[in-house]
Amino acid sequence: MAAVIGWRKKDFWWQSPVVFLEDPAAAHRLVWDPFTVYSPVKFLLEWQASCAAKVGIFVKGCDSRGINRLLQDKRLERERVVVYGVPCGGKADAEKIRASFPAKGIKDVTLLGEQLVLTVGDREVRVAAEAYLLDKCLTCRHPNPVVYDKLLWEEVLPRQRADESRFARVQAVASLATEERFFYWQRQFERCIRCFACRNTCPACNCRVCIFDQAEPRWLGKANDPADTLNYHIIRAFHVAGRCFECGECERICPAGVPLQELNRKLIKDINEAYGDYEAGLDATDQPPLGTYRGEDPAGFDES
Amino acid sequence: MKRIGVFICWCGSNIAGTVDIDKVAAAAGTMNGVVYVDQNKYTCSEIGQAMIKDAIKEYKLDRVVIAACSPRMHENTFRKTVESAGLNPYYLEIANIREQCSWVHKDKEAGTAKAISLIRTAVAKAAMNEALFAVEMPITRRALVIGGGIAGIQAALDIADTGFEVDLVEREPSLGGRMAQLDKTFPTLDCSACILTPKMVDVAQHEKIRLFTYAEVEKVEGYLGNFTVTIRHRARSVDLQKCTGCGECLAKCPAKVASEFEEGLVQRRAIYTPFPQAVPNKPAIDRAHCRFFTTGKCKVCQKVCPADAIDYEMEDRLLTNGYGAIVVATGFDTHKLNDYGEYAYGKHPDVLTSLEFERLLNASGPTGGKILRPSDGKAPKTVAFIQCVGSRDKAKGNSYCAKICCMYTAKHAILLSEKVPGSKAFVFYIDVRTAGKDYEEFYTRAYEECGASYIKGNVSKVFPEGEKLLVRGVDVLSGALVELLVDMVVLAVSVDARADAKELAKKLAVTVNEHKFFTEAHPKLRPVDTQTAGIFLAGVCQGPKDIPETVAQASAAAVKVAAIFSKQSLLSNPTVAEVEQKLCSGDMSCMAVCPYGAISEQVVEERRGREMVTRKIARVNVALCQGCGACTVACRPGAINLKGFTNQQILAEVDAICL
Repeated sequence: MAAVIGWRKKDFWWQSPVVFLEDPAAAHRLVWDPFTVYSPVKFLLEWQASCAAKVGIFVKGCDSRGINRLLQDKRLERERVVVYGVPCGGKADAEKIRASFPAKGIKDVTLLGEQLVLTVGDREVRVAAEAYLLDKCLTCRHPNPVVYDKLLWEEVLPRQRADESRFARVQAVASLATEERFFYWQRQFERCIRCFACRNTCPACNCRVCIFDQAEPRWLGKANDPADTLNYHIIRAFHVAGRCFECGECERICPAGVPLQELNRKLIKDINEAYGDYEAGLDATDQPPLGTYRGEDPAGFDES
Repeated sequence: MKRIGVFICWCGSNIAGTVDIDKVAAAAGTMNGVVYVDQNKYTCSEIGQAMIKDAIKEYKLDRVVIAACSPRMHENTFRKTVESAGLNPYYLEIANIREQCSWVHKDKEAGTAKAISLIRTAVAKAAMNEALFAVEMPITRRALVIGGGIAGIQAALDIADTGFEVDLVEREPSLGGRMAQLDKTFPTLDCSACILTPKMVDVAQHEKIRLFTYAEVEKVEGYLGNFTVTIRHRARSVDLQKCTGCGECLAKCPAKVASEFEEGLVQRRAIYTPFPQAVPNKPAIDRAHCRFFTTGKCKVCQKVCPADAIDYEMEDRLLTNGYGAIVVATGFDTHKLNDYGEYAYGKHPDVLTSLEFERLLNASGPTGGKILRPSDGKAPKTVAFIQCVGSRDKAKGNSYCAKICCMYTAKHAILLSEKVPGSKAFVFYIDVRTAGKDYEEFYTRAYEECGASYIKGNVSKVFPEGEKLLVRGVDVLSGALVELLVDMVVLAVSVDARADAKELAKKLAVTVNEHKFFTEAHPKLRPVDTQTAGIFLAGVCQGPKDIPETVAQASAAAVKVAAIFSKQSLLSNPTVAEVEQKLCSGDMSCMAVCPYGAISEQVVEERRGREMVTRKIARVNVALCQGCGACTVACRPGAINLKGFTNQQILAEVDAICL
């Protein structure tokens, strides 16, 4: 291995970004704390494009499905990656912590089982972790890595009630009248600044040349036109349809708070209803429903 | 800048009636790149085409937009027109202002606006049209005929007689189909078997025909001229090479089941040949009912077989062959009578379907050709025939007319009077339809010479009354209630598409209508073609028809096949997909959705920094690609483009129509 991709601690307690380490002596810089939420998977593409050597990578449950995503899309050579699986009990939401504790006082946050341990000033505060976890982690169905070469520690139990809340927001939006629903999405997309962070972090968005970056044909205008923004979000959602594995990073990373996961899950729900339950990223060799044809597939235009 | 000519067709009043042509022409003249606009009452006429050719030369046009009917109608015509004027045929673009505009609108103002919009779209695309060229492709000169009834037999014989090879696939152990079950045929009363069996023998003996009975089509790939079809040869358990057809096994087999051929009136053995004149006249073991296959013990047939032809170990074989064209002749099912409890079918043995009655008439049938009541074996003196059971009945059955029942019921009435002297037929009908050569005369003979009484009206109920059946109905001409005591009731059951027609349609990539009959490409002008090039239809699988029509359609399908095979080569469709290397990520989504197996992986070498590296991308086999465009939709980065319908062209159209 020429390098390993993991997480390191940055200046503040809520920052644990992805790091490439090439020097084994620097291994102590790797961390695993409540904020190692960033997906390291997308970085594999850049590594493989620039270097022929092997690389190691630490993955949470969600990240591991990203590995399968890349494998299924033939964008990753499995033999060039050593995958360290890290069973994950969920990551903390810095916003939720800040809302309850004075941000300045917090020095350190760690997760101990179901408890979050905060060092505020000189004292230690213990709270039930669940209230401070990221929303996306509360609906996580696969906290344990689904693909790995080495598992770091014992698997954790999947969160109860994760299934119940999975499509709650989708149903809420679906229950709106058609016009209200349109206004709802108009309001959401108005905030979008088209920074493409959602696309950049998404392991399902792994094309060599994204259509949104192409000059000719011009799929997307460069000006801040609401129609183009709407177009962007519709195309993005359809490009990950049947391929999105619900890591939720797109929504978490969005600086404008666009609820992208509602779009992704709407498509997942529709696919499940039309073609039977399917979860992307669990198996790199399965046949995704939108990329396969079976005789019994429903054909909406043919009801005879 | 392109020099585009726009030609607007009135189509008589078809377009000009709802579209203001002058206004459209004025608007077209202002569009980007348009240097010439003209209009014509009938652009497809010779004068209209001559105008286009002249204008191309006079105004040095390099792209042509014709605003007229659907491209399905005349695109080929106009491609030839522009080609004869020296342009590449793919420089032509059609704006469909008839089917998509004038025919569906009444408001002239709105229609005019829409026509302008459609033409603007076509002009935007035409400006980007590029020259495309067809290549020649070889043809596999062997036809596949699916179904061994009279339609399949006729089609196979006609194709084989033109000198081309034919494979005939039949699901049952013998050729023959429905016609083999019939006794006499209207309107001439020829014996059905007498005219059918010689054709069956001809098939078996024809040097150009390979006959596969007890076989089914499993998978169909490819396209016109080059289909690849996998056929499942079901395990017959009888070695056709060794079997002499002596019939020893048939007599000794202890397992009995209702005979499909005899419409369940008698039983057959588990090892069986469906009927005495079967071709091949060699049995098959019905494994679902064979005692050995169900209980593991028996093997009587093997013991008695003098030729050692019984093979319990035989397995289904899947064999793949190449074909240039396919004729579908899969026939029909009779309508299930579950919803017709009022006619007491299934509850009383003397209530029969017309096909069961047909077997009673037949000399090789269960009664040796005598009309006898199943209940007591006596000849019926009075028989009620009820028409349209399951036909012309939107509420419970088929909305369509099964077409053959009026005529076969007239035949039944005639045969009844001949076979049972002094008998009387009563026919309850909605309408009697006798369109066909000599049909009306045949029907007249039934009631004038053979004494059949025709009663216009429906039967509400049939129920037993002592040894007889009471038929209660209404005579709508007099308004009187009718009650008849009869010895037998015959139900003219409707004709359904095969229960599995839709599955076969999916395998063949052809379409079915709402009743699951296969859809012809055009109801009048292409009645034997399907929408899939190289696949043709014959017989009732396309819709109810009688034997003469079936045979005519089968011969027509054969000519269509022969026409393909008589060409030296086929011209490929130049509107095929192509891959742009630098955009292709190589995830092969396109390969997964390609229905023609036209996309494969290829390794390409690329420069990365200072070194050369290899990677895999998609490659299109232009001989296999049919230009359906499924790959272009599956490709997220837009790396695969359909020539003639490129992403740029389609976006230009969208911009033209929206902006």
